[in-house]
Amino acid sequence: MNVALAQIAPKLGDVEANIEIHLDLLARARKKKAGLVVFPELGLTGYTLKDLVEDVALDPARDPRFRKIVAATKGLSAAVGFVEESPAEKGLFYNAAAFIADGRLVHVHRKVFLPTNGMFEEAKFFAQGREIRTFEAPFGRVGLLICRDFLHYGASYVHFASGADVIVCISAAPGRGVQGGDAFATTRMWELMGEAMSYFSTAFVVYANRVGIEDGVTFAGGSFVFAPGGRRVARAVDLDPDLLVCRIDLSAVREARRAWLFKRDEKPEAIWRSLERIVRASED
Amino acid sequence: MPPKINAGFVEKVLVRFIRDELGKSGARTGLLGLSGGLDSAVCAALAARAVGPENVLGLILPYGQGFPRDVRDAQGLARRLGIRHLTIDIAPQIDAYFAARPKASRIRRGNKMARERMAVLYDHSAAEGGLVLGTSNKTELLIGYGTIHGDMASAINPMGDLYKTQVRELAAHLRIPAAIRRKAPTAGLWPGQTDEGEIGLSYEELDEILYGLVECRKGRKEVVAAGHKPTAVDRVMRLIRGSEFKRRLPPIAKLSPRSVGHDFLHPYDWGK
Repeated sequence: MNVALAQIAPKLGDVEANIEIHLDLLARARKKKAGLVVFPELGLTGYTLKDLVEDVALDPARDPRFRKIVAATKGLSAAVGFVEESPAEKGLFYNAAAFIADGRLVHVHRKVFLPTNGMFEEAKFFAQGREIRTFEAPFGRVGLLICRDFLHYGASYVHFASGADVIVCISAAPGRGVQGGDAFATTRMWELMGEAMSYFSTAFVVYANRVGIEDGVTFAGGSFVFAPGGRRVARAVDLDPDLLVCRIDLSAVREARRAWLFKRDEKPEAIWRSLERIVRASED
Repeated sequence: MPPKINAGFVEKVLVRFIRDELGKSGARTGLLGLSGGLDSAVCAALAARAVGPENVLGLILPYGQGFPRDVRDAQGLARRLGIRHLTIDIAPQIDAYFAARPKASRIRRGNKMARERMAVLYDHSAAEGGLVLGTSNKTELLIGYGTIHGDMASAINPMGDLYKTQVRELAAHLRIPAAIRRKAPTAGLWPGQTDEGEIGLSYEELDEILYGLVECRKGRKEVVAAGHKPTAVDRVMRLIRGSEFKRRLPPIAKLSPRSVGHDFLHPYDWGK
């Protein structure tokens, strides 16, 4: 299967313009025979929304603009970042990722870990997601995460435990640290953690970050794909828009799990009991 | 010292920042005051790379004839970069104002000049459909070494997250002429004034203290233990505390449930 990393610079607060960008890249990725197209976090809205959150929120099941994107996924899959407001939870706005496949909305992940410190203020404006679950995509089992979710390693563990073949992380990671090589220091961190997670999980790790600048903050790009066991399949450019299409062979998951028995020997029940004890103790 | 920067990568980021902000605002020109010093030279070089030298306007705004070398350096730099430039003597405005206030201190006169330069820059930005590029570096911003609503005023500031010593590294990378790089830094508010003389610390030491306090979040004790005089550290801490007002919009007295500055919160790039 071909995976396309759609490393875009969304237009802040302009859903219509961003829908067009998404449709354009979906068409271009389709020409390159992509089976999965991954867009960045809040790609339909831009990141630094603050009070604009409610203006750009939409219900992915009914919004006619979002339906255009869904309709454009005939014969392929896509992960799309947006602000969700569902009829069941009026007035609650989630930083969300939709997984769409073959013209159908398959799954919505709501960001669980909302960074709110220093330059980040997500929990001021977004409601907290409460669930991490994998789902079945046309090509295998997928676990979705949004940016900071990935840096909490329990989140990827849940996907690993429930059998994800591919962990997809959509991101709007700002670059920080300019001492080192030819990229932001934080870019190196993401790569290292992605590489490590592809070892731990014996799964593919697909990371799509955005680029562009909002309020002086530069989003770093550098999207990547790691195959199970730390093999770097693709790495998009730093700082600039990119549409990088790479080929992945999903049988690598089986091979990795035969060679490295982390999945076979995993004991989620032991982890579960230990976590339960820790959570109980902290509640006392 | 703050860690060495990768100047090539910093150039890439800042060039994109200037290009992106000007583009989003629909601005045709980037304007800046050229003092003949290091910071404005670096900013001009970045802007020229970002949007092309023909889209950068450097305003050289001396007070009278007191700083001939700085004017020459600024003009030379503008020619070297190929940017448009204009020299305007601000003495008539300043002298007219102070004619009735002969006892005004040199600080008052200097601040008035800095604000006059700001006013001239903003007037030209309106005429040009451009944006004023700020040239305050992180060292100045942190200790408040600048005139509020004067040289600290700008539409965007590409340099504000670089310490002075890091601006020097970037200047060398951008091949700013040695005559400008080796000059003693000065606010140019009166003849003979130098930053380091006024602040009472070398930029190397100042940046090291700031880096410890701000970036590394060290306490006074730890910074002193790293080899700095307690009086110097105290002085820097006092300067940081005392200049917060220069880094912020003024507080608005809150009365309603949703007030500007408190809970009416939007991105700077709103609608761009």
